[in-house]
Amino acid sequence: MDQLFDLALFNSALRILTPILLAALGGALCARVGLFNVGLEGLMLIGAFTAIVGNHYFENTFLAILFAIVCVCAFSLLFAFLSIHLQANVIVVGIAMNFLALGLTTFSLRTIFHVKGAYYDKEMVGLPKWNIPLIKDIPVVGDIFSGHSPLVYLSIVLAGLLWYYFYRTVNGFRFLAAGSNPLAARTIGIHVRRYQYGAMIACGVLCALAGAQLSLGQVTMFTEGMTSGRGFIALVATMLGQSGPLGVLGASALFGFMDAFSIRLQGVSWPSHFTQMVPYVVTIIAMFFFRDKGFIKDAQNAGSSSR
Amino acid sequence: MNKIGAWLLSLRGPLVAIIIGLLAGSIAILVAGGSIAETYTEMWKGAFGSFYFFTSTLSRATPLILVAMGSAVAFRSGFFNLGAEGQMAFGGLSAALIGLHVPGPGWFVCIVAMLGGIVAGGLWSAMAGYFDVRFRVNLLITTMLLNYIASLFAGYLVTYPFKDKTGAGAMAQTQMLEHAVWLPKLFKGMTVHAGFIIAIAAVVILYVYLARSVKGYEARMLGGNPLFAVYGGVRRTSLMLTTMFASGGLAGLAGAAEVLGSQYRYIDGSFASADYAWTGIMAALLANGNPIGSAVGAFFLAALQTGGMGVELNTDVPLEIGSVIQAVLILFITVKFSWRFMRRKKGAIVDGSAV
Repeated sequence: MDQLFDLALFNSALRILTPILLAALGGALCARVGLFNVGLEGLMLIGAFTAIVGNHYFENTFLAILFAIVCVCAFSLLFAFLSIHLQANVIVVGIAMNFLALGLTTFSLRTIFHVKGAYYDKEMVGLPKWNIPLIKDIPVVGDIFSGHSPLVYLSIVLAGLLWYYFYRTVNGFRFLAAGSNPLAARTIGIHVRRYQYGAMIACGVLCALAGAQLSLGQVTMFTEGMTSGRGFIALVATMLGQSGPLGVLGASALFGFMDAFSIRLQGVSWPSHFTQMVPYVVTIIAMFFFRDKGFIKDAQNAGSSSR
Repeated sequence: MNKIGAWLLSLRGPLVAIIIGLLAGSIAILVAGGSIAETYTEMWKGAFGSFYFFTSTLSRATPLILVAMGSAVAFRSGFFNLGAEGQMAFGGLSAALIGLHVPGPGWFVCIVAMLGGIVAGGLWSAMAGYFDVRFRVNLLITTMLLNYIASLFAGYLVTYPFKDKTGAGAMAQTQMLEHAVWLPKLFKGMTVHAGFIIAIAAVVILYVYLARSVKGYEARMLGGNPLFAVYGGVRRTSLMLTTMFASGGLAGLAGAAEVLGSQYRYIDGSFASADYAWTGIMAALLANGNPIGSAVGAFFLAALQTGGMGVELNTDVPLEIGSVIQAVLILFITVKFSWRFMRRKKGAIVDGSAV
């Protein structure tokens, strides 16, 4: 067991959970205002690609992330416009968004960098690794929490901030009200659409950060379809966490940990197929225990399977 | 007259979407430094240019139509089955294994293999349905997660126990099926196979089922107004299980037809990389679960994809131009355009576009 569990495992779990957590928080914001965002995967992929493009042209990681945020926000605004203003089916737009992201990033990879499959440049500098002065020296905590990119720390801070926003601020209450009962919210003068747009833009920012962490955080490269289902996992984390920031944090942590653990299991000569399966199986099992009560209530109200 | 008018009106949205899609494609072509007219001509030629290309499009449309039918049948009853990828993988793998290991005359094995594909996909999907009705585990999540589990498990089977060890290559795939088991080609030398006929039959059966049968009426009622359906005595549990079985079964059949009709073996990841599942689901969503509309949508999306290949062969524009156009078109196709929007504005606007 010693070779399976050690502090480095938690360290890599923290790294793996970051993009999922960021995207899942975006998904939670959207879910809370009634926009079920299936497009997280695509937004994240655009974020990963534009972060690399930005890094290539500006040669500065901060500007690269800024560039990614601007680009992804443009796409999430399009998403918002189509689904909120033009009343398109959110799920259709979300899946189309994933297609568009995959097609557009591959297309642009060929036209901008003239390569197929992956773009990698030795000269390119990724995100810095931070060692937080005091924490670094505490024995156990230091091993887990130091040496990550700033986005890792930011993601956890953002989860806390979102919790504070939702449950401790007036604006956050209005946001939740706009989602849970749009009609009632409008009668007391809440601009529901404004909150929906706000949620989509915030989701864009979060997905851009998630993508940047993927492409600049560890490897400093972009490969076609490099999100490889993480957006869908984030969506699952959103639902498993019942769209509450702390629940989402817990669900993402579960995913990150199981994912890190599954990589570790490969060391004990399990076929990689089964080790990769572990996070998904664990999630399904987890769902038997943490059933989404909200969904059940909705289902009873609607007399249907809630979706 | 009125009916034709209404029909034409309903085409207005998709037409605008197609124009926007082509415009977005034009921009992409210009960025890539190609000529718009030439690229679109090549795209048309790649999809419909000759009888050969046309049949390739039909062949590509075959699994898409079957997956679309699978999604449509669930969608119509108000369930989202996002698990077509895993169901297809299991269907294809079962068909390949049955084709390899069941003795008997070729046509018999072929039929058994297809039935095996249906059962494998159907049971996998019904399991998600069972989790939902029995344990209240969200169907949308389970179907999605089961995709990964199915693909990985199928990948394991073809990497270890059932790997083709005869060839020199290290590809993760099963052995090649015997010639007798293959689905016959419709035309000599063309890629389109008997699976296309099966797909069309599935469309007709599903259309008749939904439009004419009692069960189909119940299914539509459950999808359209669940509360009314339950009051009307529709038994949700059994309907959900059978619907999910049919839905997954059709996806499984899509996988089986691909294996028996065009690949002749199960190759790890070949369905996923062709994005059959998501494209098929897309086609069903576009037509709101209407079988004929979904089939037309699937055919159209297949044409865009084969057209894209023609573009890549003959111009400098990358193949992904097809997926860019496809995605933009889909983005806009369910949009209620301004005329509808203006009318809505006068009435009560419903905020929040829940599904």
